[in-house]
Amino acid sequence: MTKIWQIIKYEYSRHVFNKRFLFSLLSLPFMVVAMGVAGVLIAFFTQNRSPIGYVDHSGILENAVPLEIEGNIFEPAIEFVSYPGEDQARESLEAERIQAYYVIPEGFLETQVVKLYSQNTLGNSAQDQFRQFILRNLDIFKGLDPQVVERLQDGSLLTLATLDGSREMREDQWFMMIIPIIAGITFIIVVLTSGGYLLTSVVEEKENRTMEIVITSVTPTQLMTGKTIGNISVGLTQLIVWLVFAWIGIVVAGFFWPILRDFSIPDDMIVVMVLVFLPAFVMVAAIMSTIGAIMTEMNEAQQVSGLFSMLVTIPFYVTTPIMVNPNGTLAIILSYFPPSAPITVLLRMASTTIPVWQLSLNILILFAFAVASVWLAGRAFRLGMLEYGKKLSFKDLLRKPEAA
Amino acid sequence: MATISINNVSKRFGETLAVDALSFDVHPGEIFGLLGPNGAGKTTCIRMILDIFTPDSGEISVMGGPMTDEKKNRIGYLPEERGLYQDIPLERCLTFLATLKGMPERAIAAKLTDYLKHFDLYEVRNKKVKELSKGMQQKAQLISTLVHDPDLIIIDEPFTSLDPVNTEMVKDILEDKRDEGKAIIMSTHQMNQVEELCDRILLIDHGHRVLYGTLDEIQSKFTSRDIFVKPLTPMPAAIDGVKEIRELNGRYLLSLKDNAQPNQVLKNLINLGTEISAFEVATPPLNEIFIQVVRKQERAEHD
Repeated sequence: MTKIWQIIKYEYSRHVFNKRFLFSLLSLPFMVVAMGVAGVLIAFFTQNRSPIGYVDHSGILENAVPLEIEGNIFEPAIEFVSYPGEDQARESLEAERIQAYYVIPEGFLETQVVKLYSQNTLGNSAQDQFRQFILRNLDIFKGLDPQVVERLQDGSLLTLATLDGSREMREDQWFMMIIPIIAGITFIIVVLTSGGYLLTSVVEEKENRTMEIVITSVTPTQLMTGKTIGNISVGLTQLIVWLVFAWIGIVVAGFFWPILRDFSIPDDMIVVMVLVFLPAFVMVAAIMSTIGAIMTEMNEAQQVSGLFSMLVTIPFYVTTPIMVNPNGTLAIILSYFPPSAPITVLLRMASTTIPVWQLSLNILILFAFAVASVWLAGRAFRLGMLEYGKKLSFKDLLRKPEAA
Repeated sequence: MATISINNVSKRFGETLAVDALSFDVHPGEIFGLLGPNGAGKTTCIRMILDIFTPDSGEISVMGGPMTDEKKNRIGYLPEERGLYQDIPLERCLTFLATLKGMPERAIAAKLTDYLKHFDLYEVRNKKVKELSKGMQQKAQLISTLVHDPDLIIIDEPFTSLDPVNTEMVKDILEDKRDEGKAIIMSTHQMNQVEELCDRILLIDHGHRVLYGTLDEIQSKFTSRDIFVKPLTPMPAAIDGVKEIRELNGRYLLSLKDNAQPNQVLKNLINLGTEISAFEVATPPLNEIFIQVVRKQERAEHD
């Protein structure tokens, strides 16, 4: 156990305390934060917060009640100022005291014609606020609770539900649909990073000829257990750091988009993710060590592992057909093919309810394939570990008698 | 109790019989030479002792029984294919390999410092292994073999890439380890080193035992009919029982007739009034024995 721990510690620390790793670990959240900050700054500096004037010839805004809305950085609350005549409004616009002014002609209620005068293009939010300002002051809405007026203006809120009632999604919770996609992308990055580290670690052992010394100190099982756990921990560290950043991001973004405050992942989705990702993680790790054990040079090993990574990421290339037709032949085939199953299952989950029997079969196949991959990795390791400079073919891997 | 006891061990890889019914013992306090031409089965034999390969038949006993995790910690191994982690500092690499031998990290630091200083590597301990010269890496590998003070040391070609000064130092270390009661198996093609260091040898060819015993026993079996004599007075032109007399670097090589005995020839020389400062039955160098035996084996295989 102590020896496995030593190997885990060695494998983990040589990656995690490496400048290259720290750079790649922090560069993604840094880029996201930088883009977020840039977005906020751009919004802040480009939003015009000046009041908007209006000249009301129709009389609907006489004794107007101001609009009470909570603005935010992207949509600041605009003050509307009344002018008795167009000349005064124009003078204010030219003096840049207001950013624009509306002229509501007589007979507005019949024609709905409103004129807007502005030096620059007026933002959507400002126009929307003026529309609401008029609506709020129409006779029929006067005296009503502003919240009721708002609900009347927004219309109904649709909730989509499956026939069996197992899943439902509110219209304004569009982000629920992208959770499986984001989870899939994160999984791919983490699992392929860990797998890549594991591959490098096994090939290096052969390239450096350290294998023979190491396996006279520890058993091959101890060595591979230590290497696998060590390298997977590197991937998990990456995942945890990113999740922490994502959580901070969601909390911070919640201040700007209140809808994100409701963010949560449904329990059943978490269970399926764990059941799919666990065997998938083991499968990728085992396949990577198999490639590492039978190849002799890093370049070659990376080429072969690249092909395998492509099989895992195939579903991303066909995301649209899978999501448009989640129960179609392509989606079903890819969800039964072990390397592509994890991502396909998640993409299908995003847009449909997968029948329980199909989901169970997918997970069962993944578990079976993971076990077979571990067996293959063990065999490849025993056959290939001391074959310095000699590549094993796939035929050898299945047929050659083992030395030990 | 023998440190290693190999009894009738065989190992086959597909069609090739790598080790064929091999038996030998290695005892504490001896340097044991494991010799043989390339492909004779030496590495397979070592890998079976180390439990990397399992024998098809026969028994291997290491330190009184089958290999265990605890016993692995008491073995130091310098394989023919040298290898250290290249991308990390030397000290870290050696520390990691020592922890795999079950050494507590605190004990490693002190022991490693001693060895690094002894091998003149202390100044470069923070350099990456790949930045060190071949000779330095070879010394580092020897440190990794010895730092955990193993009871069984198995070394394959320990003098490769070492200059004469370092070769002497390593020889001294091996002799010290032998004196401390460690069992050492040394596999090498440098026969002069075997003659200098080994107490007993095993010569294998095509997986089976060809020669086995102490150096003296083996050399006496191959004793030629020659005698070296260093006279203080002029050498007689003819001696009874001697076929031919040749001068070689101030000494004389006397080839004996088939029925003559060295004792009798010595008596004859003295009777002839020759004063003698040295008289030695010529033993063939191990190198010659090695070549002779291997060629004989090859001829036997062809016939």
